[in-house]
Amino acid sequence: MDRREFLRNVTLWTAGAVIAPPVFHITPRLFAATGGRTDIYTAKGKDYKRMVNSLIDEMGGMKQFVKTGDKVVIKPNIGWDRNVEQAANTHPDVVAALALLALDAGASKVSVFDRPCNEERRCYQNSGIKPAMDRIDDGRAECTYIDDRRFVPVRIKNGKSLSEWSFYRDALESDCYINVPIAKDHGLTGLTLGMKNVMGVISGRRGRIHHNIPQNLADLNTVIRPSLTVVDATRILLENGPSGGSLSYVKTLDTIIASTDPVACDAYATTLFGMDPGDIGSTVRAYKMGLGKIDLHQCNIINVS
Amino acid sequence: MNIRVLTKRLRQISQIGFLLLFLFLFRHTDYTGSDTIPYAVNIFFRWDPLVAASVWLAAKEIVTLLLPSLFVVLLTLVFARAFCGWICPLGTLIDGAGYLIKPVVNRRLNLRHIKYMILLTVLVSALLGVQWLAFVDPFSLLVRGFSFSVDPVFNAIVTNFFDTIYISGPSWLSGLTEPVYDVLKAYVLPFKQSFFYLSMLSFVLLGAIFAMELISKRFWCRNLCPLGAMLALISKLSFFKRLPLSACKKCELCIDKCRMDAFSPENRMRTEECNLCMDCLEYCDRKISRFAFSAKPSRQRVDLSRRQLVASGAAGVVLWSLTRVDAAAKVPSPTVIRPPGALDEAEFSARCVRCGECMKVCIRNALQPVFLEKGTEGMFTPKLVPRLGYCEFNCTLCGQVCPTGAIEKLSLEEKHGFVIGKAYVDKSRCLPHAFSKPCIVCEEHCPTHTKAIDFHTVAAEDENGKKIELKQPFVIESLCIGCGICENICPVDGNAAIQVAAKSPESKTGGGYGL
Repeated sequence: MDRREFLRNVTLWTAGAVIAPPVFHITPRLFAATGGRTDIYTAKGKDYKRMVNSLIDEMGGMKQFVKTGDKVVIKPNIGWDRNVEQAANTHPDVVAALALLALDAGASKVSVFDRPCNEERRCYQNSGIKPAMDRIDDGRAECTYIDDRRFVPVRIKNGKSLSEWSFYRDALESDCYINVPIAKDHGLTGLTLGMKNVMGVISGRRGRIHHNIPQNLADLNTVIRPSLTVVDATRILLENGPSGGSLSYVKTLDTIIASTDPVACDAYATTLFGMDPGDIGSTVRAYKMGLGKIDLHQCNIINVS
Repeated sequence: MNIRVLTKRLRQISQIGFLLLFLFLFRHTDYTGSDTIPYAVNIFFRWDPLVAASVWLAAKEIVTLLLPSLFVVLLTLVFARAFCGWICPLGTLIDGAGYLIKPVVNRRLNLRHIKYMILLTVLVSALLGVQWLAFVDPFSLLVRGFSFSVDPVFNAIVTNFFDTIYISGPSWLSGLTEPVYDVLKAYVLPFKQSFFYLSMLSFVLLGAIFAMELISKRFWCRNLCPLGAMLALISKLSFFKRLPLSACKKCELCIDKCRMDAFSPENRMRTEECNLCMDCLEYCDRKISRFAFSAKPSRQRVDLSRRQLVASGAAGVVLWSLTRVDAAAKVPSPTVIRPPGALDEAEFSARCVRCGECMKVCIRNALQPVFLEKGTEGMFTPKLVPRLGYCEFNCTLCGQVCPTGAIEKLSLEEKHGFVIGKAYVDKSRCLPHAFSKPCIVCEEHCPTHTKAIDFHTVAAEDENGKKIELKQPFVIESLCIGCGICENICPVDGNAAIQVAAKSPESKTGGGYGL
């Protein structure tokens, strides 16, 4: 479907939203296999870029996820006007390393974006992510601000709590979506991990998601299915999350986790906080909807460092 | 090109240069990736001697930020009202508008005294502590008009044009227009569409200045501008003037064409009215018109009678006393949340020249002009409107651009502790409190390093009677700085279920509760 046709459809959908809600079809290949054992890869060390490279290497290389000419979306958490040390946003080295790997794998475009809670220019700048992406001197790599014209309504076919929400087109249309959350404390959900990171690609008053947040997040995650999830636990935020502030809430773990199973990634990351995966409502609901594994006994934890 | 035309061209180049400087600084009154703004974006206010005089009188203090105004005073002492003719961007725009708007009546109205009366009225009121520059300072009118109306309208029109093509046009067309749009976004358009209260009024006030061109050329500059009046008075001491000091009887083109109407009915030069545009060099058939230093004074006196002088002084006192009997002076105004770094209310009000710089620079479009909540006197002063935007925790731009120090420049550490108001939870509307629904979006967003919003976990029943654990937010008063992000993102429709009340002037601890 070309852009013209796409936009015409969107216009029609929007006009007829009440009688005929739009359906954005989820391609079957994105539904990860739920049988068998899942591999969770972890790396520990100080050189985050090298750790990312080793992790992806161990998983079979970026070519497993990115084919030549693919449009790649790397979705970090750039939610807050905080610096790298304050552990409120994904580490820029992790993002940049993934972007470089995707470019090497032959991506035609690598887009990095998020819909921040604070002012976007300040977040992009002070998180260090825009400067890191700007240093990658490659026309295919871009770190762009959200363009409000590019949200499209999506009917969430498998949703149990949400039936419709608008998503960012670039995220929906990407050939490879890499979710790169940071692991941190969150007042309502206990922790914010990969499942919650999807909130950066949806539109509207996101506060409404909070009424029934575990199920809502699971529902949203039936639409955005990452090919790869990389959880940044190089430093984690233990308190005052998700925005943090004081460095006394930050614990350095020098750990990065990667898996093709978004639920297993969240489950494993939860244990780093001394919590049980079952404590996190969104992980439980996502597991129940068949989005991935929650039982770490059914996973192979592969340490690559 | 002969020397006479060349001089005029130089003047035009200077005018366009300063207009471009003004527009450049206007566009750069914004966040550009650094916590500090690298340019003196407020320079047009800081070298405005009218602002300096009015602020120094009202604040009873020499505000050093305004010392560049002495440069313009010096310039005027040497070159008379060259500022009006060669520098003032409003004057340049008026001259530009003159190509489109021609006077329809073109009578030689003698209203020059009005500008002196306005000047005196404003300064007498300032001495009593009331600031009226919002309505008469040319840059205040210009910057506010641009910030609140011209620029947002410009952006809205351009953006709508490109968006319409992008959304409804054929793809080959948007393929052509989108790259153009990208370039415009990068260099010409503001980063985001801004929204302002009083945009219509600001537009009308500025537009009126241009509409007056229908009466005569530079009507505002000749008859109303109090800065022009001030420079006119100073220029009486200047030796640089147009010679001869009266028009010859031959063609009188210099009188007819003079944009400032700088000749008396007896054809004598009013040196204080001449803005040195040098047009008369070109028109003069006999080539006797020239500009030079001369100690010879013009025999023409300033257009201000003793009676007018006394009347304007009295007007200043009356205007001051009117603000004191305004009900707004008596009631609290919890909605008027001043920007971080704002001085105590009385001093703030005396120093603020309502220039709109802080509102222009506010990256969350949160600072908005006050209408009548603080009386007529308080009109166009800034207030935070949290439902529109909140005060960004790590941003200190408003204090950086304030030309008079009404908003102090804060360090990041000072900003983090500066209380502008206090939030309070409206339990009758808050989702977890009133409807047993989970939410606490306010707690999530609270930016203080120890969150000023915490929650009690209570056992409750949801709407289906199911037992649930519920997190109910409350404000820790001692930690709240009133940034308003909680009110901004509260998902409750209409009024937020958590709201910020302005810091109460009576409260030394900064409590919005008047504690």
